[in-house]
Amino acid sequence: MDQSKIRNFSIVAHIDHGKSTLADRLLQQCNAVSEREMTSQLLDNMELEQERGITIKARAVLLEYDALDGERYRLNLIDTPGHVDFNYEVSRSLAACEGAVLVVDAAQGIEAQTLANTYLALENDLEIVPVINKIDLPSADPKAAKEEIENIIGIPAMDAPEVSAKMGINIREVLERIVSDVPPPGKGRDDCSRALIFDSQYDPYRGVIVYVRVFDGAFRPGMKIRMMATGAEFQIVETGYLRPLGYEPCGGLEAGEVGYITASIKNVRDTRVGDTVTTLEKPASEPLHGYRKVQPMVFSGLYPADGKKYPDLRDALEKLQLNDASLTYEPESSAALGFGFRCGFLGLLHLEVIQERLEREYDLDLITTAPSVVYHVKMTSGDELVIDNPLNYPNPAEIEYAEEPIVKASIITPAEYVGNLMELCQNRRGVYKDMKYIDTGRVELHYELPLNEIIYDFFDALKSRTRGYASLDYELLGYQRSKLVKLDILLNGDIVDALSFIVHADKAYERARRIVEKLKENIPRQMFEIPIQAAIGGKIIARETVKAMRKDVLAKCYGGDITRKKKLLEKQKEGKKRMRSLGTVSVPQEAFMAVLRLDDD
Amino acid sequence: MLGIYIHIPFCRQRCAYCDFCSTSQFSDKLMDRYAQALTAQFDDFFIKGGRYEADTLYFGGGTPSVWGAKRIAHTIKELQKRVRLTRPEITVEVNPESCDKKLFKSLRAAGVNRISMGVQSADDAELKALGRLHNYAQAAEAAALCRRYCTDNLSVDLMYGLPGQTLGGLRASLEGMLALEPSHISCYALKVEEGTPLAGQNPVLPDDDTQADMYLYLVDALRQHGFAQYEISNFARGGRVSRQNSKYWDLSEYLGFGCGAHSFYGGKRFSFTRDINGFVEGALGKQPIVEEADELSLGNRSGEYVMLKLRTTEGVDEDAFYRRFQADFAPYAARLDKYRASGHVVHENGAWRLTPKGFLVSNAIIGDALDGACPSE
Repeated sequence: MDQSKIRNFSIVAHIDHGKSTLADRLLQQCNAVSEREMTSQLLDNMELEQERGITIKARAVLLEYDALDGERYRLNLIDTPGHVDFNYEVSRSLAACEGAVLVVDAAQGIEAQTLANTYLALENDLEIVPVINKIDLPSADPKAAKEEIENIIGIPAMDAPEVSAKMGINIREVLERIVSDVPPPGKGRDDCSRALIFDSQYDPYRGVIVYVRVFDGAFRPGMKIRMMATGAEFQIVETGYLRPLGYEPCGGLEAGEVGYITASIKNVRDTRVGDTVTTLEKPASEPLHGYRKVQPMVFSGLYPADGKKYPDLRDALEKLQLNDASLTYEPESSAALGFGFRCGFLGLLHLEVIQERLEREYDLDLITTAPSVVYHVKMTSGDELVIDNPLNYPNPAEIEYAEEPIVKASIITPAEYVGNLMELCQNRRGVYKDMKYIDTGRVELHYELPLNEIIYDFFDALKSRTRGYASLDYELLGYQRSKLVKLDILLNGDIVDALSFIVHADKAYERARRIVEKLKENIPRQMFEIPIQAAIGGKIIARETVKAMRKDVLAKCYGGDITRKKKLLEKQKEGKKRMRSLGTVSVPQEAFMAVLRLDDD
Repeated sequence: MLGIYIHIPFCRQRCAYCDFCSTSQFSDKLMDRYAQALTAQFDDFFIKGGRYEADTLYFGGGTPSVWGAKRIAHTIKELQKRVRLTRPEITVEVNPESCDKKLFKSLRAAGVNRISMGVQSADDAELKALGRLHNYAQAAEAAALCRRYCTDNLSVDLMYGLPGQTLGGLRASLEGMLALEPSHISCYALKVEEGTPLAGQNPVLPDDDTQADMYLYLVDALRQHGFAQYEISNFARGGRVSRQNSKYWDLSEYLGFGCGAHSFYGGKRFSFTRDINGFVEGALGKQPIVEEADELSLGNRSGEYVMLKLRTTEGVDEDAFYRRFQADFAPYAARLDKYRASGHVVHENGAWRLTPKGFLVSNAIIGDALDGACPSE
């Protein structure tokens, strides 16, 4: 294997800056796919990804490129997820590369996520190849974009290729730059074998397909392998390359190469992203550095709207988890919602993606409870509890102190919105750290924010206060003591467990006020008056009332038209099916959703 | 005994709120053809030599008075050739602007003994907004003519919950209605039906609470004036209830003729097409014109009985229910029982009935009761 003819690279870009389109163009340029096979944006092949324009699961692809120097190069493009929730997955994809193409929108400049991922790339010692995209736009200002790259990231960018992925302009120059600027992979060590897992895919016939970058030694069919973090051992069935339209088996993967391994692996949990694979023939004593077990940061209860669909939800979660080891779930039950699952997610977007996939791909109607972060509670007894579910929050009298997770947040925004954003962050209990001018027009703000303030509607508020221009990135900083209380919601005097949540004491009144108002808007009038109350430890702090319904009648049964009346009653019955009966109160599903979206304005 | 309904789909002008089967685009020729079509339907339905007997006949609309007394009289005659009318109640709906002395005299001669007049309001501005062609003075005159030349068994319609209407306004309207000396009043809340001109105006109706107050006011005021409520929207003085309409509410058999008319006969519900020309051509050309047909199982029938009977002040008698359907009323009763404490439902002498407060939310209560007997799967 001639490592000097291999280039392993990623593309780093903000959502919408054209990463997927550029990837498609690179594939096209290398004749990796025929025109006929060229469905738009091949790398994002989940329906949801195409719609949202975000890449959720990393993919990789091997391209063969005939460069201007007359040589044929093997280029491995490793795609990365583009969202803050998938930070760790991004870092592992980057660790599998020697270079990263940094795509910057010629009209919009650098965004917070791009910056965060670029820093990740620099931390992994990657060579950055800047590319200015969307030069076809009338508002494009490539020179300003280049200056921004030099100023903020501190790498030369003046001769960066100016391209339009959409129009197919200057794509070849990008490939040439990858060949010339990205260093080839090293030859690795002879005394051991190590490969980095950067993704895996579950296939019902072959088991888990593990995506790896080989750093040392070689991996061939028949060899016995061990996952160094989990300790699981397997025998390789097949090795191969990742091609745009499928898997291409090969005799083995050697140092510097990117490909896949199958080994009759039943569970993706045995093949954690970031783990090192070694062979028993030449076992490594040390794994490649950088592995950590991904911990879910946000928890929420998922319940089928129709209680009978519980087994379907379980099957669907099981299937999703085959491809997504970061999704956790365990059964829970709620007096209000029946049987469901407590699920752990990397972040709010991850939650939304899973929820949408369950609804779309598995045709499930879901009720989601308010998302919660993980709290640490020190009890007066000396016990330490980890609480990810408000239902388990202990009696305040027994709590010595409680801690909540704090994140380091970076927000990039046009300068005119700084005031708005500072106000927002202040409202969300943020602690101001510093502010940097990226250029005359744009600012990078740093705040420390409690994670539970971000998981509600922070993104929406951020976007609405900056007309959509601000971008956010955050990472977990640690835990901090905090005055936390559990807020209960009562309907007709009974606590609805599914609506309880944990909140900072100073925010409790305001939150309680808004929740009871939202519920009032979303609960239809019923045969009797329904008090809606919010309480902390038995003390009512907010109250609204849904008045009793007084009029619901079909006045006229005209000329014996009974059918009409029957249809009305049937319609009414259908409507009732979409309601949850909580004791004597019927609550529509929308009411549960409404309390999750307490917009500021 | 059988009840017969005949639909006359002609109006001088369509009212802004109306979504019944009617048209204002018609010729004398079409009206004649319509009469022929009805006779053809009679022939079609009543088998020669069959012994049919009915005790109510109702001409509804549309505006039967626009169709004219001559055609009505002719239709009654044609019907009598095939059906024995035993001491019948014969009702004709009229509008104040389309009736005069001659009409009432002719109707009386034809055997009509009950008039239902679409007065709707005693306020001329409200009448205009509803798209009615008459004013209150015309209604007063028509009512007087009716009592003098036809019958004192006069029913009037009153609408409430009109855009901009207040309780005070309704009170005045009711007084105007009572001044017409009717024997029967039907009170309907205005309902904005999709596709009507009124719906296009996005009218602001009094809110539900105000409408509920209006309804309870009407029930109370009418009672003080000697009108006993016998159904959600119907009130009668001196026991002069609508015998025809009562058939709908106790699941008796009735036959409807004419376009858009509904029937319940031989355990089946069916209705005819709402398209007037389609109906005429179909009936005369013996083409199928049945639009909806639905055969009721005994279980469905008992459910419908409960649904309809709970619209009346009599309510459902447990023993009568058992005798009729050989089924226990208990599953319904279990649901109805919940609403007693709140004063929506009364259970006395073995019968379950709704109070006026209960009538106001009868969709919810009846829906719940039916669900109790036949839970959703």
